[in-house]
Amino acid sequence: MKKILQLSLGIITSVGGFLEIGSVTTAAQAGAQFGYKLLWAILLGTLCLIFLVEMSGRLAAVSKHTVVDAMRERFGFPFFFIVLIGIVLIAFMVLVAELGGIGFGLQILTGVGFPWWAVPVSLLVWLLMWKGTFSLIENGASLLGLVTISFLVSAVKLHPEWSSTARGLLPSMPDSDKARYGFLTVSILGASISPYLMYFYSSGAIEDDWDETYIPINRVIAGFGMTFGGVLSMAVLVVAALAFQPRGIQVETFPQAALMMTTALPRWGFYLFAFSMIFACFGAALEVSLAIAYFFSQGFGWNWSEDLEPSKNSRFALIYTVIILLAAIPLAFGIDPIKVTMMSMALTSATLPLAIVPFLLLMNDPIYLGKHRNGWISNTVVSIVVVISFVLALISIPLQIIGG
Amino acid sequence: MNLIRDVLDKKLIDREECDMGRVSGLLMHVSETAQPRVTHILIGGQTLWTRLHPALGRLSARIGHLWGPGRKEAVRIPWSQVETVGKNVKLDCEAKETGALDWEIWIAKHIIERIPGGGSEEEE
Repeated sequence: MKKILQLSLGIITSVGGFLEIGSVTTAAQAGAQFGYKLLWAILLGTLCLIFLVEMSGRLAAVSKHTVVDAMRERFGFPFFFIVLIGIVLIAFMVLVAELGGIGFGLQILTGVGFPWWAVPVSLLVWLLMWKGTFSLIENGASLLGLVTISFLVSAVKLHPEWSSTARGLLPSMPDSDKARYGFLTVSILGASISPYLMYFYSSGAIEDDWDETYIPINRVIAGFGMTFGGVLSMAVLVVAALAFQPRGIQVETFPQAALMMTTALPRWGFYLFAFSMIFACFGAALEVSLAIAYFFSQGFGWNWSEDLEPSKNSRFALIYTVIILLAAIPLAFGIDPIKVTMMSMALTSATLPLAIVPFLLLMNDPIYLGKHRNGWISNTVVSIVVVISFVLALISIPLQIIGG
Repeated sequence: MNLIRDVLDKKLIDREECDMGRVSGLLMHVSETAQPRVTHILIGGQTLWTRLHPALGRLSARIGHLWGPGRKEAVRIPWSQVETVGKNVKLDCEAKETGALDWEIWIAKHIIERIPGGGSEEEE
């Protein structure tokens, strides 16, 4: 009974926690500019994420190690440190973007510009981390995130042409703007396959004391939760395609994006969009800050648990306090969160091998997983998607920078 | 036992299952008459950063002198206190007494406890 409850809660939280500023911005821009053509990138990214999340839960359940624990032990400190720099820098950019997303949501509700929200929003995120427990953060934030289902409602109400949507699930080349298409593909892949989610998920499995009996539950949560989440991302793309593409609107700023749901839901669309962004980005900001603090604490072997009082794991608490305060600074100075989002998502793709290759080696290591190690299907799927993202990122990021 | 695979970088826990950092380095006794043997486990920033680059090790030592709990040497745990080596390295000692938690306690006392709601490091 307890496990059925955990199973449903796990799926609900994955769905509520799936969308964040990265997936919304990349999907909205892709839909506005290329119609349904980039749906395949969301499909591919989500497929890869399902495998990665399942693996990180399995690693924790079988070996009682989080991904970071195992990486430090197996590959030693020097290698761990290189990964730490790459992952933490990018996760920090993602945190800036998420805090900016909350600020944007508040800006379109109140008219007060997002830089003014940077400090109060960061303080609120920090306060929840300081006083809250792990389950409050995991369940509370993602339950509120369920408001993002309104994207799916909007998509269905707009009656998309199902045959052309289905065609979008197969890769195709656009007639023009190939460089932009490549960059958006990379950003979508980066937004779907967020490595911080693996660190957060495996730490959660340890916080919740998972053992081998959780392997089937883990598989169902990863499969269903991420699939529904991916469907929400696709809904954002479809809504943007139907609301913006015919009118030639490109989503360059947030107030433009805020109008995407008003075609389908004239009365509530605007507010639903604002609240979707606020709650989705809030949940993601908590998860990213926790993931960064977990990364340091587990890597260095410090005490860590979101359920302890801050002074009982002072180094863990110090890390998230400093990181959240630092993230507020660029926002308060008015850095554009959409630009930060697009760059951090593309850089995520470019650095995927750094996070995923050592992880795949661990997942095939009998010392950690015994008979539960990876089969050829999961190895193949993840390797192929990581290679695609990496190669596309190497080609398209320079083109994007040159092309402005 | 394979020292690099099974001991180095493993998490250390004390008698009461309290985390006390990771194995930063190992100290061996080498003499002409006897077989080399591992005598101590080392924990500490200087040992750790020196593995990356000696200059970083020196920098870490300098920061440790200027700031923080002011410990000059790496924490040395005699190998005789090692109880088991498995998922973690379990030690027969009290984490706080070894000095491995000096930074944890220093940060708790000087920063975290001064922020409202931070709690107190000492109460059980």
